[in-house]
Amino acid sequence: MDSLLGNWPSFDPHNFSQLRPSDPSSSSRMTLPTYHPTHSRTLPAPDQVISTEAKNILVRHIYQHAEEKLKPKRAASDNLLPDHGCKQPRVSS
Amino acid sequence: MTIWNYVVTAHKPTNVTHSCVGNFTSPQDLNLIIAKCTRIEIHLLSPQGLQPMLDVPIYGRIATLELFRPHGEAQDYLFIATERYKFCVLQWDSETGELVTRAMGDVSDRIGRPTDNGQIGIIDPDCRLIGLHLYDGLFKVIPFDNKGQLKEAFNIRLEELQVLDIKFLYGCSKPTIVVLYQDNKDARHVKTYEVALKDKDFVEGPWSQNNLDNGADLLIPVPPPLCGVLIIGEETIVYCSANAFKAIPIRPSITKAYGRVDPDGSRYLLGDHTGLVSLLVIIHEKEKVTGLKIEPLGETSIASTISYLDNAFVYVGSSYGDSQLIKLNLQPDAKGSYVEVLERYVNLGPIVDFCVVDLERQGQGQVVTCSGAYKDGSLRVVRNGIGINEQASVELQGIKGMWSLRSSTDDPFDTFLVVSFISETRILAMNLEDELEETEIEGFCSQVQTLFCHDAVHNQLVQVTSSSVRLVSSTTRDLRNEWHAPSGYSVNVATANATQTISVRIFSLPGSESHHKGTIRNNRREIILSSCAFEGISYLLCALGDGHLLNFMLNTSTGELTDRKKVSLGTQPITLRTFSSKNTTHVFAASDRPTVIYSSNKKLLYSNVNLKEVSHMCPFNSAAFPDSLAIAKEGELTIGTIDDIQKLHIRSIPLGEHARRICHQEQSRTFAICSLKYNPASGEDSEMHFVRLLDDQTFEFISTYSLDTYEYGCFIISCSFSDDNNVYYCVGTAYVLPEEMEPTKGRILVFAVEDGKLQLIAEKETKGAVYCLNAFNGKLLAAVGQKIQLYKWVLRDDGTHELQSECGHHGHILALYVQTRGDFIVVGDLMKSISLLIYKHEEGAIEERARDYNANWMSAVEIVDDDIYLGAENSFNLFTVRKNSEGATDEERGRLEVVGEYHLGEFVNRFRHGSLVMRLPDSDVGQIPTVIFGTINGVIGVIASLPHEQYVFLEKLQSNLRKVIKGVGGLSHEQWRSFNNEKKTVEARNFLDGDLIESFLDLNRSKMDEISKALDVSVEELCKRVEELTRLH
Repeated sequence: MDSLLGNWPSFDPHNFSQLRPSDPSSSSRMTLPTYHPTHSRTLPAPDQVISTEAKNILVRHIYQHAEEKLKPKRAASDNLLPDHGCKQPRVSS
Repeated sequence: MTIWNYVVTAHKPTNVTHSCVGNFTSPQDLNLIIAKCTRIEIHLLSPQGLQPMLDVPIYGRIATLELFRPHGEAQDYLFIATERYKFCVLQWDSETGELVTRAMGDVSDRIGRPTDNGQIGIIDPDCRLIGLHLYDGLFKVIPFDNKGQLKEAFNIRLEELQVLDIKFLYGCSKPTIVVLYQDNKDARHVKTYEVALKDKDFVEGPWSQNNLDNGADLLIPVPPPLCGVLIIGEETIVYCSANAFKAIPIRPSITKAYGRVDPDGSRYLLGDHTGLVSLLVIIHEKEKVTGLKIEPLGETSIASTISYLDNAFVYVGSSYGDSQLIKLNLQPDAKGSYVEVLERYVNLGPIVDFCVVDLERQGQGQVVTCSGAYKDGSLRVVRNGIGINEQASVELQGIKGMWSLRSSTDDPFDTFLVVSFISETRILAMNLEDELEETEIEGFCSQVQTLFCHDAVHNQLVQVTSSSVRLVSSTTRDLRNEWHAPSGYSVNVATANATQTISVRIFSLPGSESHHKGTIRNNRREIILSSCAFEGISYLLCALGDGHLLNFMLNTSTGELTDRKKVSLGTQPITLRTFSSKNTTHVFAASDRPTVIYSSNKKLLYSNVNLKEVSHMCPFNSAAFPDSLAIAKEGELTIGTIDDIQKLHIRSIPLGEHARRICHQEQSRTFAICSLKYNPASGEDSEMHFVRLLDDQTFEFISTYSLDTYEYGCFIISCSFSDDNNVYYCVGTAYVLPEEMEPTKGRILVFAVEDGKLQLIAEKETKGAVYCLNAFNGKLLAAVGQKIQLYKWVLRDDGTHELQSECGHHGHILALYVQTRGDFIVVGDLMKSISLLIYKHEEGAIEERARDYNANWMSAVEIVDDDIYLGAENSFNLFTVRKNSEGATDEERGRLEVVGEYHLGEFVNRFRHGSLVMRLPDSDVGQIPTVIFGTINGVIGVIASLPHEQYVFLEKLQSNLRKVIKGVGGLSHEQWRSFNNEKKTVEARNFLDGDLIESFLDLNRSKMDEISKALDVSVEELCKRVEELTRLH
């Protein structure tokens, strides 16, 4: 146990060095001044007002998958159409 | 009838929900920042301990509080997220002492199911992103850019639906989270994910671990060089990383709080649900984890948060008991504990019930709360004003003045008490046996009234009478010199310090001339002046003969008087006397309404003393009674010590068990409570439930009735019945069986207090939980499950009484809260808001008269007046509804109209009519009816019903204050106070925020002038009106 305790970290060795504890059997209430900001810096720069991107997560997912499908397609060959220029002969009178 | 309400906090939230430590106010400062639901406190670590800096109201309920260090910054920033999905990033400007908002936003989503286990907010240790788990199935990312600025947030789908905890891991080249989750077979696992910022998606992380302790609930990320994560379960603690898996069994416990001790992450403090603090150590060699070890250290309050501070000092924040400052000692104490509690900080939360009583019969209500939970349960007596603890008293009539004197200049204690009457002066002194006895100072003239006495230098005393000033040796008590008033003149007023005696006249006071106009009555318009320094600022206090006090700031070099204020301290002439308490200057104003004037945070405050009328007072710091005061009231001289000078005084009565309901019975001078006691030592958790009787002065347990196994006490009232002169305690119970979703059985127990013991007189079994009881028309009205049941108290042939059912009313989901007024019954339902019932005597029936058709999940109800009913619901809102008796149709008359709505931000457990302050017939605010409420966070608040004209005026004031006092972090007061639940958000109406309104008094003069101009009302008038409101609580 002795090896586990001790060597407690210290940021400033003076911290708590002059602590005079009040009676621990009675609770104390620290009195703090209440902060009421009247200055103008309660609002940040306009680009630091953050919201969530409007695109729905599912829509984003679909678009990502759609892009993936398009990528590996081969270029169309140049000779898709038959020589006669028609899929089937038209009846001529 | 009034629908306009003023809501104000008498006691701020004290439940500590979050705490963190860092360099917030300066790179050289180490700060502790504490969150108490709607407020944060900033403290500075110093040689003297925790130095309070600021209390910061936040317009939101804090869900996340984190300090972080952006790239390139020397100081930490503070990230706050609220339960309504607002967030802000705050920076401290040390030059101006201001909080600056670096970023803010709203991260709510239109679609999503709020997460069942509570929100999670975390920051990547390398500050690449903020992660938020707000909705089940979604993980929200707010990225940082490389300059530390935030960018647009986005969501990532999270497959794990039942998330228990998420933390960022340290030491990862890409931001990586670890998720602790439960699958649909209730097994618990951890999994890691990398956040791919470019793709806005997760990538599978470096490792995972399945089938953890079924009670695993908490993740602790471990910083470099060890990295990895600790997984805290109920029976096992696991260290897990890509390279290692180590586990140790632990004593079964539920760990809710942890604090890292070492920057390298090798030691942690863990706090469990019984208040045991343990040290968890990661055993490692050459940055390789070889094992875990855990050692119990000692007992604290049940921790909700633990922050290691510095030099072995630790802050333990608590939701169930007082928070504490502890020290970790190297050697155990006699009980084997390494924990030394050095400070306790009040926590009233959770307030689950309270009553309002006048324990000292002084005409002023005291709130006695059931506070705390588990082993930290307590009763707290909350009282406005300052109490006097009498140590000695003697009957003396006709006291005209009192002064304390020392027996030598160098003696630190007072020895003599000079008491002056119309035609004589008597001297009391402490003898060698430390008793007060009459004595003589031969050099004093004892056959006349003394006007003034004071110690003087060179072991001398001064006595001033109407005809002379006498200088007396304090050692030999002989007359040394005497000055006689010229013939035909007499001394009327005198004062002195150690070297001079002076009398003074001031021909006029700035701005006070007009206050002398008016009819001169019998009482003289005397002015008594007192100049004194509070917190280094000099004031001139002027007590007028009509009970008013003027105070001015006094420039001691130029004599200039500024900043005049006027307050009423009673109706009789005031005498002022300076005294010291805890090395601080105070002024006691003695009158028909005695008051202590003191300064706190550079502001003069007035706190009433709990005594009816004090004619004179002086400090009396004797060796036997240090720091005491001598007080002359009607017919009596009292010596006593004074309570701590605070607006609200709180006395704590630790119970060691959880009090859940409380009631006072004036006739037997007792309280009765329903409580439960946990016995974790007996293997598995077992509970015992009691009804306990307590003395109402000492709070000792004087009698106990044990309830059955599984039987919970749900309610307790004191009441009497028709045709029976006795007063009884009636207790409603429920049998809470593990296999039942809702209790099907309960009892009503009727007790009498006989010879200081609870005697069971009657019992009645019920088909459901008895959630509420009311005395009603000489009978007993019970809320039993979904039914309202009326019982009468019937005399049987054998001379005993029993409860007999008369009639009832069905139609509720669960009738949880009932209030009555005349024949009307107001019911607060679990899900169906408020309904109004009426009891018809002739028919012996209860019928519904009207209801509110909103689906409010009620937490408390109260009747404001015949037509207005007040409710609190479980989304932290208040609302009022009105009975519409003049409606043209049955449908209109059958609907309770909602006439007020307001977001309080607090879960109210109980409303009670009553007042924390003495109700004074001559005061404007004394006529305002008030309701007191108590909340889970330990707030005690007051709701006052205002006349319309006053409401309209204050609403304008509130509107202007919103423009002057901004919300911290850019949060909006208007949005904060909007009524908000799952179904709707609407603007607050017919409720005023008293906390905001009363902050007017904290503004500097130029800001006050700004508002004064906007309202076209003078600053003096505004201050007067607002100051009067502060006397409501």
